[in-house]
Amino acid sequence: MSAVQASGPVAGSSGGGVRLRARRRRNWGGWALGAFVVVYLVWSLAPVLIAFLFSFNAGSSRSVWQGFSLQWWTGPASVFNDPEYRDAILHSLLLAGLAVAVTVPLGVSLSIFLGRWRGIASRPASMLATLPLVVPELVLALAMFFLVTKLLHFISLGTPAQVIGQVTYILPLVIVITRGRLASIPSGFEEAALDLGASPLGAFRLVLVPLLAPAILASAIVAFAVSIDDFVITQYMSSTSATQSVPMVIYNATRGSASPALNASAMVMGVATIVLCAAGYAVYRVVNRREEIVLPQASTTEGALGAALGEGVW
Amino acid sequence: MTGMAGGQVEIVELTKRFDDVVAVDQINLHIPSGEFFSIVGPSGCGKTTTLRMVAGFEEPSAGRIVLDGVDMQHTPPYRRNVNTVFQAYMIFPHLNVYDNVAFGLRRRHESKEEVRRRVSEILELVQLGQLSRRKPSQLSGGQQQRVALARALVLNPAVLLLDEPLGALDAKLRKQLQVELKTLQQQVGITFIYVTHDQEEALTMSDRVAVMNNGHVEQVAPPREVYDQPATRFVADFLGVSNLIHALAESAEAEGVRLGLGDFHISALAGDTAARGAVTCLIRPERVRLEPYEATGANRLPGIVERVVFLGHSVQILVRLAVGENVTALISNTGQDVPYTQGDAVQVHLPAEALRVLGSAAGQPPAKTADTDPAAAGAHATTAAGPVPAAETTIGEQ
Repeated sequence: MSAVQASGPVAGSSGGGVRLRARRRRNWGGWALGAFVVVYLVWSLAPVLIAFLFSFNAGSSRSVWQGFSLQWWTGPASVFNDPEYRDAILHSLLLAGLAVAVTVPLGVSLSIFLGRWRGIASRPASMLATLPLVVPELVLALAMFFLVTKLLHFISLGTPAQVIGQVTYILPLVIVITRGRLASIPSGFEEAALDLGASPLGAFRLVLVPLLAPAILASAIVAFAVSIDDFVITQYMSSTSATQSVPMVIYNATRGSASPALNASAMVMGVATIVLCAAGYAVYRVVNRREEIVLPQASTTEGALGAALGEGVW
Repeated sequence: MTGMAGGQVEIVELTKRFDDVVAVDQINLHIPSGEFFSIVGPSGCGKTTTLRMVAGFEEPSAGRIVLDGVDMQHTPPYRRNVNTVFQAYMIFPHLNVYDNVAFGLRRRHESKEEVRRRVSEILELVQLGQLSRRKPSQLSGGQQQRVALARALVLNPAVLLLDEPLGALDAKLRKQLQVELKTLQQQVGITFIYVTHDQEEALTMSDRVAVMNNGHVEQVAPPREVYDQPATRFVADFLGVSNLIHALAESAEAEGVRLGLGDFHISALAGDTAARGAVTCLIRPERVRLEPYEATGANRLPGIVERVVFLGHSVQILVRLAVGENVTALISNTGQDVPYTQGDAVQVHLPAEALRVLGSAAGQPPAKTADTDPAAAGAHATTAAGPVPAAETTIGEQ
């Protein structure tokens, strides 16, 4: 009895000491991490901000500040009046829209097929479907170029080839994102829908699609962002100057004498992407709050990977 | 559309193979309309597979399922007048309680008023009327269970299939819902096929119980009968703690059989009293009586108390018999002290009418009394699955 009483305060005090020391150490770690985060943010965002500022330069230099002006945004040589820039922005948006419109439905159906199909070939098929993810984009672009110019003559270089190329490149991303979510949805939900009288199509429409909604949304945002940013495939699959995307224009312009209009066009794309992603994220949050699934069982490594990827996008 | 009078299920020679594993092996069951029928057995015995075949999620490898006279072979799950309460509930997380319950009615294109009327009616029945706008994530386990039940019952199916519906709940809630489920079943009069691994649950709620093991049905009978008159050693072991005693059936006696245990002789009146040679006898612990060592009379064997365990409602006493077997006795806690402690010499009274002969044990390895481990007992019973021919498992209406 006395031993118990004696050991009480001793254990308590030693515990307190450990806790104090741990707190002090954690604070140092926190400082270091905080500093690292700040350095990283400045390092990655400061050049973007500077580039943004130079789009308001009064002169035509992109490195020497000559006063404030809106001429590169509104003037005759500005981003919205120069036909080359304007067409490139429109073309980029067209390509991104088409890429989203094709990859999302296609990728979602493919991942449902791969995820729910229990055949002998289902494993190899899943691996093959995500293979383009690890093939270097340049290799893919060269292969596509060869395919389109030498074999498949009915696909002409330009918008059709660019869309097909981008879809090929983006589809595995959509599959990975959707399959991660799908793996966390037990097939019991579909069975429950069938049990309650829904046809297989009804079970898909009324249960699976709503449960996949966050992944579908994430896929759309990723597809859009990747398409807007894509250079290699878009460049290889392009034909005339009418099928130039913004990254292509920027790349070509920097090799010649570029004006701050270039900065402005880059900003337009950047802001468009960020606004779209933010809007998508807001919708995602709303959808997710509505749901808050506590899914019984079913948490595979695949699911975790998908979830990590899906979340990591932000 | 089948009304409440329907719900008769006929399962004929039903078999399911997964690759080279036979999950369900030629089972025959006849379930009359309005019965609370339980299928009980250890995991992997084929009970859930059987249920899934009735629901239509698995296709039988052979055999037939006949619902109210109609063979279900070519009927997909969404056209069967059968609904399921799933083990993990599977309530749609993106829909609120009301929309979950209305899901099936809307698939039948019922009018808006009809949907509203029937959903609120069933929600009242399962006491969820106040929560119809809640999301599933805002419900407790017991409430989720009720939503799953309401969602299936609102369609007024001919048969309701329940796959371990109480498995995810804590013991106290489970007990409460057992009573509620039974009352509900009597109210609605729908045939319930209830799958569980919990023998107590099956005994408490069912009109009849089927005990399954290794894809076979070992016995189908009312709870009292499967408990008191188990057809096989597996059934005896699975449905509660039991003592298995190995003896030699020697000769006929009055109405029973004379058994030899070493130098002692006792008689048994129940079970396969015509058996001769090495047999296994069963006696439930609550039927075993302990008497002072000086007591005399038939069917008494001397032994030494090895362990006394207080269980709350009763006291469990493990006695090692002089002939080498272990016997567990269960004495109800009536408030008095149990007059035995470890090391005491006692007379163990095994009443002849409570001693049940389980058929010939010839050629079997001496089984250990696996009274705490039904799975291990199951493994033994497999080798002895012979005694019940398939035809005997088809038991008609009481």
